[in-house]
Parts: sequence; structure tokens; C-alpha cells
Amino acid sequence: MSQDYQPLASTRIAGDYQREWAKGLRAQITSGEKYAFVNADTPHELFHHMGVPIVTNQWWSAIIAAKQLSEFYFDYMQAAGFHDRLARYSSLPLIAELEGDTARQPWGGLPTPSILCARQSADDHQKVFSLWSEKTGAPLALLSSPAVPDPQPDWWHLARDGWEELYHSDRLDLMVTEFEALIAQLEALTGKTFDHEGFADYMDRINEQERIYEEASALIADAERCPIRISEQIPNVMIPQWHRGSPWAIEHAKRFRDEVAERVAAGAGVVENERIRMMWIGAGLWFDTSFYSAFEESHGAVFAWSMYLPFAADGYIRESRGDPLRALAARVSAMNEQLHQPPWINSWMVEQARRYRIDVALMLIPEHDRFSGHGSLFAKKALEAAGVRVIEVWSDMVDPRQWSREEMMARIVPELDAILAERV
Amino acid sequence: MTGTGAAASAAAALERAMEQQENWSSTAAMPRVGIFGNGMPETLVAAAGAVPVHLALGTTTQSHPICEVIEPFVDEEVRYFLVRLMRGDFADLAGIIFARDDAPALIAYQYATEWIRQDLERAKTPPLFLWNLVHTDTQPVRTFNRVQAKKLFGFFEGLGLESPDAADIAAAARAEQERAAALRKLDAAVGVSLSGTRAARWRNAGRFMSAGEHADLLAAALAETVEDLPPPARIGIVGSPLCCEKTYRMIEGFGTVVCDQQGFGQVWPGPGNAASELEDILVATAADPSCHRIAPTSSHRAGLVRALKEARCNLVVCQLSQTDDTFGWEIPALATELAAQGMTLVNLGFRDARPGDAWLEGAAQQLDQALEARK
Repeated sequence: MSQDYQPLASTRIAGDYQREWAKGLRAQITSGEKYAFVNADTPHELFHHMGVPIVTNQWWSAIIAAKQLSEFYFDYMQAAGFHDRLARYSSLPLIAELEGDTARQPWGGLPTPSILCARQSADDHQKVFSLWSEKTGAPLALLSSPAVPDPQPDWWHLARDGWEELYHSDRLDLMVTEFEALIAQLEALTGKTFDHEGFADYMDRINEQERIYEEASALIADAERCPIRISEQIPNVMIPQWHRGSPWAIEHAKRFRDEVAERVAAGAGVVENERIRMMWIGAGLWFDTSFYSAFEESHGAVFAWSMYLPFAADGYIRESRGDPLRALAARVSAMNEQLHQPPWINSWMVEQARRYRIDVALMLIPEHDRFSGHGSLFAKKALEAAGVRVIEVWSDMVDPRQWSREEMMARIVPELDAILAERV
Repeated sequence: MTGTGAAASAAAALERAMEQQENWSSTAAMPRVGIFGNGMPETLVAAAGAVPVHLALGTTTQSHPICEVIEPFVDEEVRYFLVRLMRGDFADLAGIIFARDDAPALIAYQYATEWIRQDLERAKTPPLFLWNLVHTDTQPVRTFNRVQAKKLFGFFEGLGLESPDAADIAAAARAEQERAAALRKLDAAVGVSLSGTRAARWRNAGRFMSAGEHADLLAAALAETVEDLPPPARIGIVGSPLCCEKTYRMIEGFGTVVCDQQGFGQVWPGPGNAASELEDILVATAADPSCHRIAPTSSHRAGLVRALKEARCNLVVCQLSQTDDTFGWEIPALATELAAQGMTLVNLGFRDARPGDAWLEGAAQQLDQALEARK
């Protein structure tokens, strides 16, 4: 790890904001405020716009893992009769809920949500959320997920404006009607009426936020040396993403972009002598995020890319074209699939590796969150054909039991040595 | 098993169909459309003038370069299918339909289409179609599912088959009604003159032939066949799709499989098959509680418990493929609900598609202990 690296001020600000938000949310909830517990690939925008706070399943899972609690919960999971090949990332919060001791959970745990929401992108999402619903009695809003039968490889070119053709009208029609049903549920929950006009403005603000992140991504991709660690990219994108379109989120996106721009202008890099640029493919390694800086000193190797920053633009910007609800359906209707389904994932990985001048990709392949693992080997093959070395990391985002940093280092170091040797 | 004349001949034909699968000889001269996964109403394929043949039950010892992109956690039936597809085993089929809401089928479709899109090494492959039916019953879903049927009919036309009209569908449904009646007799014979093992094989033989032929063979075979029956305990099977005679035989060493609720069991043919009109076929298929993706989500487990209870099972055997990531979520609650109905759930854990002797022996010990404990 490089000793000279200075963290961004934005990172601290984002962390502080989320901590305060969580504290405030907890206070709100305990005083009777309603909140929703939702999966990452659901229309958060509808909840935000109706003023219903949300807690995102994958974010809460990462928090539990970061508090080093996942091992305890996965042991409990097996003791409760769930076998050890079931999803972990998307189920860790459920297991904490089933275990029931809220005092053990981060921040004293979560109270019962007023509504649950999941999309059937993965086959087990509805199982996980229905168990949560059974346990708590919270109603479950489940969104259908018919597949795109003819996924076009260059989806990120079409997704912003040509989404009707890309995602297909029948799928969007269905998703819009399911959104309308969800809006009706939220109206009944809150006693408020959905403001369609205001929603159009709100969707525009989200596009504005994601364009700022696009600029930040371009700055990092084009910089001679990578200016910030991905362990800082991730919170500076994802915390505002959970609050997307809010004044704070847009302000923070600008703050982050400007701070990155300053570093690039100053010629600052994560390491003085950057020799290898790496990408981390997959969700974060939430229980060991310092791993991302493990090769800086020894090899001048920097993780320059993780999906969260570039996906902000490619995964989220959807022009409203006069129909913001349909544009939201376009954003949501293949959100997760674009990160895991061939040819979407392989094409995008190659494009991003080229854009970021990547030498080596570390590819997290979770065996248990099956949906997140599918398409990995297609992506590996495509990256290798594009001249990128790929190292498979068979591990899990939130379960440290299969992770050995030492063993992983022992696999990666020879690859990095080989690259440096080739350059002599 | 005993039987004479026509019954023995029909029984032998059903057994042969199970061996020959999609190459079942009586269908060789007709256009055949492959199906991967449960949830695609065979009635519609038949109405288009083709014989529906299932492709997810086959295995292979061969390999193919496509294996290099198949992760180890991909379901075994997908791996077998992709190898066979790319080696040209299905080259003579008019097309293949994948049922989106059957988990392995979507992956099979995605990996196959991507391999083909990249124009990588392969033999001739037929056109592929994703049957995107959504499993719930709301007005928007009904509209969506009608669009999927229209797309399916367009696919048929592209294959040179008929775009079926109401009369075609009604005619195909009549054959399915005959099959349904024959299958009811098959179920009634289990524990009386037939083992659950035999019934499962004869049921699945129908996945490789027309509904009419299946109905005729079942009727003929059932007329005189009498098997030595297993012990009297009434057993249910749940979990991953199972198509292994040896495993059934092991289970039936302890009783008769009277309720077979795994994916290759009594859940096929789907509930929409015998309906005479397209709308009814779609609605009934979309409401099939055996689909893991059914909404409301409680329908799946409730459907299982109902079926096992109605079959008066004493013991319910759960078995899982090595790659299960879905059914496992049901097991603790299912065990609790079954116990409340006086049924014991025995989870045999993970097994291969064709389990070895050591696994079978261990599983038999587990069942023996469970039955002892019930005494």
C-alpha cells in the first residue's frame, strides 16, 4: 500500500453524510416513519419521489460484511437449515433478520419495513424477499423480469436514447404498468399523490448527476496516472446513487468530480510510478477493501476501474423523451442483466478495459450469488482476446470464509511480475 | 413387471422412448420442435403442426469448446444441452424453444445464443426462441403473455410451420385432454399395480412424442401391467429435477412414490396444456404453482404442501442438484409446514444427475433412520 496516498475530502464527506442519514433514518423510523427495504435493481426513484426512505439490500449487506459480522450470520444460516450453496450477498440482511438479535446488527438493526420491493432478475430474489415478507408481515412488491431475447452487444450506445428498441416495447409496457401499481401502493402507504410533473424534473436531475459521474470517469480513464483508488471511487458514487437526484447527491457528484479533476490537473497519482493498471470486475470485496491497494508499492499496480463509476452513466442515463416513467422502466428493466448477461457484460468489459487502458483484470466470480457469476467466463474470454490478462477470483463479496488474501496474492504476484518482465 | 400382448408392447415402447428421447423413432418423419424447460405449453407446438420434444433430460460424456465458458455452478442439464447442441445433436430439429421462467433454460438460451452470435466452433444449430411467459395473473401480465404467444407464432411461421388458429389449438388440446386422462389413470395405478418409479418413466416418455401417441401408449400399457409393489409407506419427492431410475428404486425400497413434485415429476405436463383456447392456456400456464418464479410467491410452497397432503404422504424426500440455488430457500419452512401435517421431510442433500452407489447407500441409510424414528 502506498504510504503517500491522501484520501479525498469527498470520501469523508460521503461517509459522514451516509452515517448521519442512517442515524436520522433510524430516528425517523423509530418515531413511526415508514420506510422501504428494496433490492438494488428496483425503481428507487419512485420511493424517493414519494418521500419514502429506502434501505437497499445490497448496501445493507455490504455494511454487515464490513462490520465483520457475515461469518456469524452464515454459520447461523446453515444451522437454520439453509444449505451452504445459496446466495450470500443478496441474503445476508435476510439472515440477520431471521436471526433476530437486532443488537448484534450494525446501528442496532432495522425495524420492520412498511414495504419490500424486489425485481425477479435473479431466480432467488423472490425467495429471499418472500421469506422476509413472511417473517415481518411487510407486503412484497415484486416486479417481473422477462428477459431481452436479442441483447445487442453495444447496449451502452443505445440505452440512453434508443431504449425502446433495445429493451423492447412489450417489456417496457409491462414494467410501466407494474410501476403504476407500485405507485398506487406507495400512495396508499403515504397518503400522498404521485406528482408526475415533478417526477419529470426529478428524472432530469438524475441524468444530470450521472453525466457528472461520466465526466469523472473520463478524467480517471484519460489521466496519465490513476488519480484515486477504487476504494474511494465506490463510496463517492454509490452513496449518492442511493440518494440519486437529490440536491445533496448532485452537489456531491460535482464535489467528487472537481476533486478528481484537481488531482489530474496536478498530475497526482495513486502511486508515483504507475506501471500496471488493473480492473476489479464484480461487486466490491466488502470485507477486505484494503486489498485494492495491495500491489501499489510492490508493482506500481493500481486498481483504476470498478464498475460502479462508469456504470453510473451507462447504466443510469436514460433520456425521458417525454415519458419519464417509461424512461425509468428502461433504466430498471435490464439494470442487473447488463452487468452479468452475455453479450452485454463481455462487450462492456472490453470497451471499459480499452477506455481505461487496463493491463490486468481481477474477476470476482461468486459461486453462490449465481446471477452475479453467470457470463463471467464469456467476459474472461473476450478480455483475453482483447489483450487483457484475467485472473479469476472465486470468492464472495460478503463471505470471508472462502477468502485468503495470502493465497490470492500468491496467484497475482507472478502475473504482475510477468507483465513487468515483459516490459523490461 | 408382467403384462401380455399389447400392454407389454406399449410398456416396452414407453421405455424405449425414455432411452431414445428426442430421437424417438415414431416422430422422426415429422417436424420436431425442441423444448428446454418446463412452462412451455406443448399444445401450442402441436397446434403448429410439430411434435414437441424435450431436451433437458439428456446427458452426454462428450465435450466441446463451449465448455470453457460454462462456469462450474451452471446446472448440469445446461452443460449437457450446450455440448449436444454445439456438436449437432439437435441439427434435425426445426427449432428450439426455451422457457424463460425455468432457471436452467434461460442460461442455456443465453449461452447458446452468445456462442452462435460470436460464430464460434459448432455444428449446425436450429433457430432458437425464448418463451418469455411471465408467471403471475394480472391484466398487464395477461396482455404481455398474449404478445409472447404472438411472437411464438411468428417463430413457427419462420420455421415453415403453421401459425395456429383456434381450430388448430382446440384439436391439439383434445389430444392433451386424452393424455391428461391417461395420466390420471397412471397416477391412480401407482401403489395398486404400478411403482412410482415406473410411473415417472412412463410420464416422462411423453416428453418425446405427441400427446395422442402418449395417451394411447399409456392406455395400452396400463391395461394389463402389474408390478411387484414397494412397501406400503407413502412417499413424496420434492427438490431439484430428478430423472434417475436408480434413485427412484432406492427411494422405493422404503415405500411408494405417490406424489412426485420435482421438475421431472407430476408437475409436467403443465396445467395449461389441456385448455382449448389460447387465452386459457396462457392463464393456466402463468398460474402454475410448480414454477419457482410464480407470484404471489407463497403459491409455490403452498402448492407443494397441498399436493403432498392430498396424496397422504408419510415421508417426503428432498434431493438437490449440486447447483441448487433456489429450492434450498424453501426447505426449513417446508419441513415445518409438513411436520404440522404429520409428514416427515428427509433432506438427502446434494446429488449428481446420476448418483453413484455410495451416495445411494448413504441416502438409503438416512431414509431408513427417518422411518425408524417415525415408529
